[in-house]
Amino acid sequence: MGLAVDVVKRSGKRKKEAFNPDKLQRSIHRACLSVRTPEGEAESAAKRVTHLVTLWVATKPAVTSHDIRRVVAFHLDRYHPDAAYYYLHQRRIL
Amino acid sequence: MTPDDTTISLSIVLLAALTHASFQLSISVLTLMSGHALGRQTARRRLVNMIGGFAFGAIVMTILLLSFAAYLFGSLLPYNIPLLVWAVGCGAAVGVGISVWLFYYRRELGTVLWIPRGFARHLESRAKHTRSATEAFSLGLTSVVSELLFIFAPIILSALILLRLSPELQLFGILMYTTVAMLPLMIIGLLISNGRKISRIQKWREANKHFLQFAAGGGLLILGVYIYSEFIIVASALGRM
Repeated sequence: MGLAVDVVKRSGKRKKEAFNPDKLQRSIHRACLSVRTPEGEAESAAKRVTHLVTLWVATKPAVTSHDIRRVVAFHLDRYHPDAAYYYLHQRRIL
Repeated sequence: MTPDDTTISLSIVLLAALTHASFQLSISVLTLMSGHALGRQTARRRLVNMIGGFAFGAIVMTILLLSFAAYLFGSLLPYNIPLLVWAVGCGAAVGVGISVWLFYYRRELGTVLWIPRGFARHLESRAKHTRSATEAFSLGLTSVVSELLFIFAPIILSALILLRLSPELQLFGILMYTTVAMLPLMIIGLLISNGRKISRIQKWREANKHFLQFAAGGGLLILGVYIYSEFIIVASALGRM
């Protein structure tokens, strides 16, 4: 389910899209699994962080995907620092 | 060729291989591919196969590039390598060495490399969608080709040096070059296969990226200047032009 908040993509060239908490939760979940977090812990961290980010996003008319990534990493760092690092840096590997 | 000449030639090939080993593109692609595979909860056995396929692809392409360069020079210049060709090889090594010092990593966080963004996007996309050892093999081949801009200098100089050796030593030189150049990739592959976290590996790479950049650029400069003084200045002084 999308909120009425637009997400502006990183390059600015691709179309804006509505903020989708499910998509965000999936990406956080995957980042946790990528650093070998157990499945249950990954799911729980993804749910909590998605909830916090959704509250933050709801106060804005539009956000950039970079800002979302930064805020996710900030919150995820409390639960799983390795996953937070990976989530923030996975687009900066290549 | 005296035993001393053989030792010097193999040492030059070894230094060129160490320089090649300092380049990071294949390792970045392997890290990305493994991260995506783990995120999809890929079974450990399949992940190990994918890493093996990727490393095998990178090894095959390195052997092919070095053998092709040596074959090309051997066919075009069957009797003697002109000093001009050595000079071009040394110039390329020095030029690429300085470029590596200045440009290899982009000036931002992470380990983003100064390669054409089209290549980077393609590799990122393929790393994300790779699901089998065969696809990983193809990605390994492509990742080495994508780094050609930086690795062509050590490959050209090694090929020129290998032509001075006997056929058995040429084969040994190619295997030694490939083994040394691919050693970091194999070590990272083994670490990931044995359960090390991608984030730890990436943190280490990020913390040491400037040292690796300095080593790669410095290695190329030393290689270029040494070969220039050994093969061009000395040959010119002896009147072998």
